[in-house]
Amino acid sequence: MCTLLTIIAASGFIFSGCMEWDYGESEDFEVSGEGLFIVNEGNFQYSNSSLTYYNPESETVENEVFARANGFKLGDVAQSMSIYGDRGWIAVNNSKVVFAIDINTFREVGRIENLPSPRFIHFVNDRKAYITQLWSNQIIIFDPSTYQVTGYITIPGMSPESGSTEQMVQFGKYVFCNLWSFQNRIIKIDTETDTVVDELTVGVQPTSLAIDCNGKLWTVCDGGYEGNPFGYEAPSLFRIDAESFTVERQFKFRLGDMVSELNIDREGNTIYWLNGDVWKMSVDSNRLPVRPVIKSQGTIYYGLTVSPANGDIYVADAIDYRQQGIVYRYSQDGDLIDEFYAGISPGAFCWR
Amino acid sequence: MGTDKLRLILLSVSVAAIASGHQALAQKIHNMRTLEVTAKRPMKEIGIQKTAFDSLALKENIALSMADVLAFNSSVFVKSYGRATLSTVAFRGTSPGHTQVTWNGMHINNPMMGTTDFSTIPAYFIDQASLLHGTSSVNDAGGGLGGLVRLSTSSSAIPEGLSAQYIQGIGSFSTFDEFARLTYANENWSTSTRIVYSSSPNDYKYVNHDKMINIYDDNHNIVGRYHPVERNRSGAFKDFNILQEVYYNNLRGDRLGLNVWYTYSNRELPLISTDYGDEREFENRQLENTLRAVFSWNHSRSLWRTAVKAGYVHTNMNYDYRREVSDGNWADMVRSRSRVNTFYAQGDVEFNPVEKWYFTAGVSAHQHFVRSEDKNKITADDGSVIYGYDKGRIELSGYASAKWQPVDRLGMSLVLRQDMAGDKWAPVIPAFFVDGLISRAGNVMLRASVSRNYKFPSLNDKYFLPGGNPDLACESGFSYDAGISFDAGVSSAVRFSGNATWFDSRIDDWIIWLPTTKGFFSPRNISRVHAYGVELKAAMAADLTHGWRLDLDGSYSWTPSVNQGDPVSPADKSVGKQLPYVPKHSASVVGRLTWRKWAFMYKWCFYSKRYTMSSNDYTLTGHLPAYFMSNVSLEKLLEFRPLDLSVKLAVNNIFNEDYLSVLSRPMPGVNFELFIGITPKFKNKRTTDAVY
Repeated sequence: MCTLLTIIAASGFIFSGCMEWDYGESEDFEVSGEGLFIVNEGNFQYSNSSLTYYNPESETVENEVFARANGFKLGDVAQSMSIYGDRGWIAVNNSKVVFAIDINTFREVGRIENLPSPRFIHFVNDRKAYITQLWSNQIIIFDPSTYQVTGYITIPGMSPESGSTEQMVQFGKYVFCNLWSFQNRIIKIDTETDTVVDELTVGVQPTSLAIDCNGKLWTVCDGGYEGNPFGYEAPSLFRIDAESFTVERQFKFRLGDMVSELNIDREGNTIYWLNGDVWKMSVDSNRLPVRPVIKSQGTIYYGLTVSPANGDIYVADAIDYRQQGIVYRYSQDGDLIDEFYAGISPGAFCWR
Repeated sequence: MGTDKLRLILLSVSVAAIASGHQALAQKIHNMRTLEVTAKRPMKEIGIQKTAFDSLALKENIALSMADVLAFNSSVFVKSYGRATLSTVAFRGTSPGHTQVTWNGMHINNPMMGTTDFSTIPAYFIDQASLLHGTSSVNDAGGGLGGLVRLSTSSSAIPEGLSAQYIQGIGSFSTFDEFARLTYANENWSTSTRIVYSSSPNDYKYVNHDKMINIYDDNHNIVGRYHPVERNRSGAFKDFNILQEVYYNNLRGDRLGLNVWYTYSNRELPLISTDYGDEREFENRQLENTLRAVFSWNHSRSLWRTAVKAGYVHTNMNYDYRREVSDGNWADMVRSRSRVNTFYAQGDVEFNPVEKWYFTAGVSAHQHFVRSEDKNKITADDGSVIYGYDKGRIELSGYASAKWQPVDRLGMSLVLRQDMAGDKWAPVIPAFFVDGLISRAGNVMLRASVSRNYKFPSLNDKYFLPGGNPDLACESGFSYDAGISFDAGVSSAVRFSGNATWFDSRIDDWIIWLPTTKGFFSPRNISRVHAYGVELKAAMAADLTHGWRLDLDGSYSWTPSVNQGDPVSPADKSVGKQLPYVPKHSASVVGRLTWRKWAFMYKWCFYSKRYTMSSNDYTLTGHLPAYFMSNVSLEKLLEFRPLDLSVKLAVNNIFNEDYLSVLSRPMPGVNFELFIGITPKFKNKRTTDAVY
């Protein structure tokens, strides 16, 4: 009897266990030259965002470099990355944080916490940068040298509840920003006074923004969706004169098209976007192209960038959004050069 | 507290349980156990793969929800975000939406999501619970591609006379649980009122492996870093439940019943482990009011029986995500409001004309009215825009079955069921069951079944704004299973039972929500899944010497659940891979040792590693390692002239396991709760059994 009871009591110890935490270690990296960072969003609420680094010359790729270099996770829904000097700044939207990393070692050098919903970062100078946000009617001003928030730009005609400020480009002393979710405007910010000095109405939900060699702003509007109280219309591409801040031309797509990811090459001569396939158009063109530069091969394109060094086109396929997405690298003529797996939902790129 | 120290405590607890006691508690537990054991199979259950939960599992302590009971006492997969947070249940490698749930016959799956949150169902409110695995669910409902959870209350759990019981639990993290029950029963009438109230800041500590805190020098250089010990932030809850039952039995074959259950749940949704926001500036709260009521009339005669039921469910669910933009000024980022009204009616008839034949037939109707909206969004010019949907849907289900037992040892059953939702009819659902007693010695029995099944998309799948897809097709499944069971007494004091089941099912048009390039998710019929595997269950009950009794129950599941759909893209690596978040292996063991007035319980469960990526890549940010969980409790019953007093100490996660069930949702370490139960003895009471 005693033996039986002893066995029963002891059996409890056999059932004890320990979950093994197999991260927490830091790995050393040292990179140089041209390189491409890929920001992988991951899945909302699962904190599985990651950062990929690709060397175009050697065609080598390193995944999860933030977690490997720092021993902890990047966070939930990494949205974008911007480089200023030797630091890369990553906005991690649902983690409410911006991390700054050394772009050669990927090690964290600082962070800004408790940001409501950071989306994109634009640097005005060494002491001033802007962070756009979702669910806020304010753009955050911060000092990159101290990692301190120094002020806010309040957007007129926008409530915090339906607030959305998105991508930014600079022309002279003005920063232009597209207002995306439940919005239809581009705003003009004076960087000396940090105030909105003008605004321009475009189509429903402008998703992205670029500026060309002629001083023209380009934005693509997704047109909303059926049932959207803010409107549902055919997506449009707008060309806007930055100087006069007026619409020069509107290029309309078909109702239901999924247009996104407006990009521009280094010279500012050619714009690129996604609409099922990859499309490109000269900034001097007066009509939309009839054929894509890269046709979808059953792929679900999610991210797009163009190499500033040689014009190679990088397009990401998120596949089912629950596995490592793949990035295809094409020449300017659409010939496949390389392909590699990144992280879950590769949505944004950043060149060093 | 270190693991070694905890192990010492466990040993001490075991020794203490051995050291003293009394016969009554053990006797009581024996009596309770006999409530659920059915030695002879009724014809209604020919070929059925069923797991029934005994009253000890359901009434272990007042802090437990049905999610906790299922996790430790069955082979289903419980995906939990922690106490008082979303807990869903999936059978045999399917999804939570493929689990149908009934309460006193009425479906309680939320018609918007199609799922059930088991964390909102107090185990103390359920008198009878069972799982119908796979094909077997067709006997009760269509759409249970994984299976069905059958929950009900019962008049047989009400002792005659006046009874009362009060239990209070005081636990770690300032957790308080209260339970009170008042019952009365005479020859014809019985009534019961139960109340459970639970509250906690739920701010347990954990080591946050997903973050590092930096240590800076004066020049803002990072000179050190460490994983912080954080509290679970924004995890407070207050849950109140009341259940009223009234039963009438005319003793001439008619029984009437009325069950009314009201739930108020006010829960914050905890921040994820990588949230760098200040929780004081954000509020993430879910508020639910749900009323469920079922009226039933059972009419029995010697050869036939009819049952009529009518019911109603009202759910009012608010979800708010707010941010304090300036002192005292809060902005609503999400202000979601959902109202669900469901009217339910069901009629069944059973006919047993001769000993070898048994027929059943029935029809049920659930009429849902759902209004789901986000009040935060912009209104249109007329100011009346609803950002959401306002839909009604009728769901009809009719069935007929014939059961035949040509000889005592062999039974067969054929069920035909037809489901309808909205204006869409699913094809006829056929199911065939067979079982045979191959040896009376040991009651060795073989069972097998096969069925087709269909599940309609939920209302959110079809109409949610943005993203709802009205063109979705039904998910459909084809399932087989076969198993063997035995139940044998080795001696008059020791009894063993067990069963092994093999199952295989293929589900087509599996619905998955995927992001779109417009920034929202939309569901699609995308996958074809092959789920198969083995379920093993074993139990032992031994009346040992000197009043000792030992009960051991164990289960194990091997559940490969493989994506066999077409690649969604040329680079798709998910085909042929295990579905994310479905463990291939899971197991549980519950051991109870009783001696006189003492009872000691050890619960253990195990989940193998779970992939979080459809490609099964094992990355730093994309996997959940295997974990074991161990809970223990020790109870002592004290009998006094005016009342019985029970004292129970429960220790959860006794080895202080640092674990995750879902990515970025750390779970609590070792925690304790002390329960004190009072059962007054009324003079007019004929029995001294506690009200369980």
